[in-house]
Amino acid sequence: MNRGLLIRAFRESWPTTLLLGLVLMGVEAALAFVLPKFGAQMSEQWLQMDFARGIIQAMLGTEIGDRLGPQMFQSIAWVHPVALALTWAHALVCCTRVPAGEVDRGTADVLLGLPVSRWEVFISETVVWLLCGAAILTAALVGNLLGAQGVPPEHRPQLSRLFIVLANLFCLYATVGGLAWLVSALSDRRGRAMTIIFLVLLSLFLLNYLAQFWHPLERIAFLSPLHYHRPVTVLGTGAWPWKDMGVLLASGGVMWLAGGAVFSRRDLCTV
Amino acid sequence: MGSLIQLDHLTRRYGRRRGVERVSLSVPEGALFGFLGPNGAGKTTTIRVMLGFLRPTSGEARIFGLDCWRDSKAIKRDIGYLPGDLRLPAWMDGTNALSIFGAVRGRDLAGAGRELAEKFDLDLRVKVRDMSRGMRQKLGLILALAHSPRLLVLDEPTSALDPLMQQTLHELLRQRAAAGHTVFFSSHSLGEVEQLCDRVAIVRAGEIVADESLAVLRDRAGHDVTIRWKDDAPALAIEPPEFLKLTRCERAVWQGTLEGPVRRLVDFLAGKSVEDLSIGRPDLESLFRRFYEHERKDRQ
Repeated sequence: MNRGLLIRAFRESWPTTLLLGLVLMGVEAALAFVLPKFGAQMSEQWLQMDFARGIIQAMLGTEIGDRLGPQMFQSIAWVHPVALALTWAHALVCCTRVPAGEVDRGTADVLLGLPVSRWEVFISETVVWLLCGAAILTAALVGNLLGAQGVPPEHRPQLSRLFIVLANLFCLYATVGGLAWLVSALSDRRGRAMTIIFLVLLSLFLLNYLAQFWHPLERIAFLSPLHYHRPVTVLGTGAWPWKDMGVLLASGGVMWLAGGAVFSRRDLCTV
Repeated sequence: MGSLIQLDHLTRRYGRRRGVERVSLSVPEGALFGFLGPNGAGKTTTIRVMLGFLRPTSGEARIFGLDCWRDSKAIKRDIGYLPGDLRLPAWMDGTNALSIFGAVRGRDLAGAGRELAEKFDLDLRVKVRDMSRGMRQKLGLILALAHSPRLLVLDEPTSALDPLMQQTLHELLRQRAAAGHTVFFSSHSLGEVEQLCDRVAIVRAGEIVADESLAVLRDRAGHDVTIRWKDDAPALAIEPPEFLKLTRCERAVWQGTLEGPVRRLVDFLAGKSVEDLSIGRPDLESLFRRFYEHERKDRQ
C-alpha cells in the first residue's frame, strides 16, 4: 500500500461514492417507508395467487412459505433491483478504474512510471474501493433507518438483524467487485470491461430470478451470487449466514487475486 | 564510467507486428543521450520496456545494473519519466500533483516543484482540465524533474513547448548532466539533439542503425561537397571518382557526399579547372536522411 496512491484513488472515487451513496440512501428510505405500508394493504388472498407469490419469491430468492409479514416486506428493500443496481454500479465504477480505466484515459504511463509495484497499485485501489463500499452501504442503512421512522414500531426491522443483512450485502458487493477487478485486469478499454461485467451480472440476476419460475434452472442457481443473499431469512431468524458469506467472500477473493496476478504480469501501457 | 542503461539484443514484438528487434545500446552515467528515430521506429517501445511496462520478447534490458522487468519498482525510484503522450487526471492541478507524486515517492516535492514552475513559467494552481498542451507538458517535466532523479527518461519532451521553453529545458538538462545525472532524450527533432546531446543512437524500423558520439557519426557520414567547374566542357569529360557519391550532376555543378579524407578530393581536383569548391560537415538532418534513404528505397 502506498499513501500517495491511496490519496489519488480517494480523490477520484469520492464524487461517485457521494453521489451513489445519496441516491441509495434516498431509495432505501423510500423502500423502507413504502413497503411495509404496501404489505399491510395487501391481502393475504392476493399473495396466494401463484403469479404474485412467484414474483415476490423470485425477488427474495427463496420460498416465502409462512414468512408473510413485516420482515418479508422489509427485506425487499435489500434485494430490490434499484438498490442492487446502485451498489453494483458503484463496484463497477471503482473496480474498473485500474488498469482498464487508466489505460483508457491515457494516464497509465504516468501511474506506472512511479516507483510502485503493480501489486501496490492494486492493493491501494482495493482498500479505497472497500472503504467507499462500506460508506455507500452505510448510507443505505441510514436511509433504511430513516424511512423506517415513518412506519409503526412493530413493523421496523431490528437494528442487529439489519447489520447482518448489511454484512451479507457487503460480501455480495465484494463478489461483484472481484469479478470487476478480474475483467478490468484483462481489458484495455473501460467501456468494454463494464459492458462485459454488466452482461454477466444481468445473466446471474436473471438466473436467480428465473430459477423460481423454471425448475430446471434451480440446479445451476447456485452460480448466481444472489443465491447467497437472502435477507428475508436473516430478518426472520437473526442468524448469521456464515456459509453464504463465506461462499461470496471466497469467490470474490479468488477473482480479485486472479485479477491482481493478471495485472502484475501483463504488458501495460497507454494504447 | 559504467553503463547506466544497458540493452542487449532487446526484442519486443506485438504479436506479428514489429516493436524493436535486437536493440543493443549502452548509455554511460552522466551522458546526454539522444535517441533518434521517426514516428513508429520503436523509440517509445524501447522506453516502455526500460520502465517495465512491457516485458521483452527476448534479450535483456538493465538500468542501474537491475533488470527492467523484475526490478522495475527499485529502478523507478531514481528515474524521472515524461511519456510521449502525457495525460494527467483532469481534476489535478500542479500543487496537488506535486503533493501526490511526493507522497508516492515519500518526499516533499513542493519546494523543488515551485522552483521549476518559476523556470517554466507555469501557474501551479491551474487545473489540468484548463491547461493548454504546452502547460501540461511543462507540468509533466516538473513532475519528472522535481525529485532530482539519477536518470531522466524524456520521450519527445519539447513537442509542445515554444522555442523559449525549449531553451530553458535544454539549459536545465545540461545543468543536470553536468551534475552527473543521465538524460535519455528521445526525439525526432534532429536539430535539438544536435544542440543538446553528446551521444546519439538512431533507430530505424525497430533496429539501431547507429550508436556513437555525434563527432564520430559525422565523420562516418562524410562531407557535403559542391564543385562548380569553370566551364562545362571538362566536367562532361571527367568521370566522378568512387569516393564521391554524386546526388546532383549538372553540366557545371557537381553535388554529393565525400567518403573518406578530404585530401583524396583535393588530389583528384588538382590541375582541373574548378571555379568554386565547398566542403562542409553534414548537419544531423541530412545525416538522418541518409540513414533513412535505404528504408525509403526498400519501401519503393
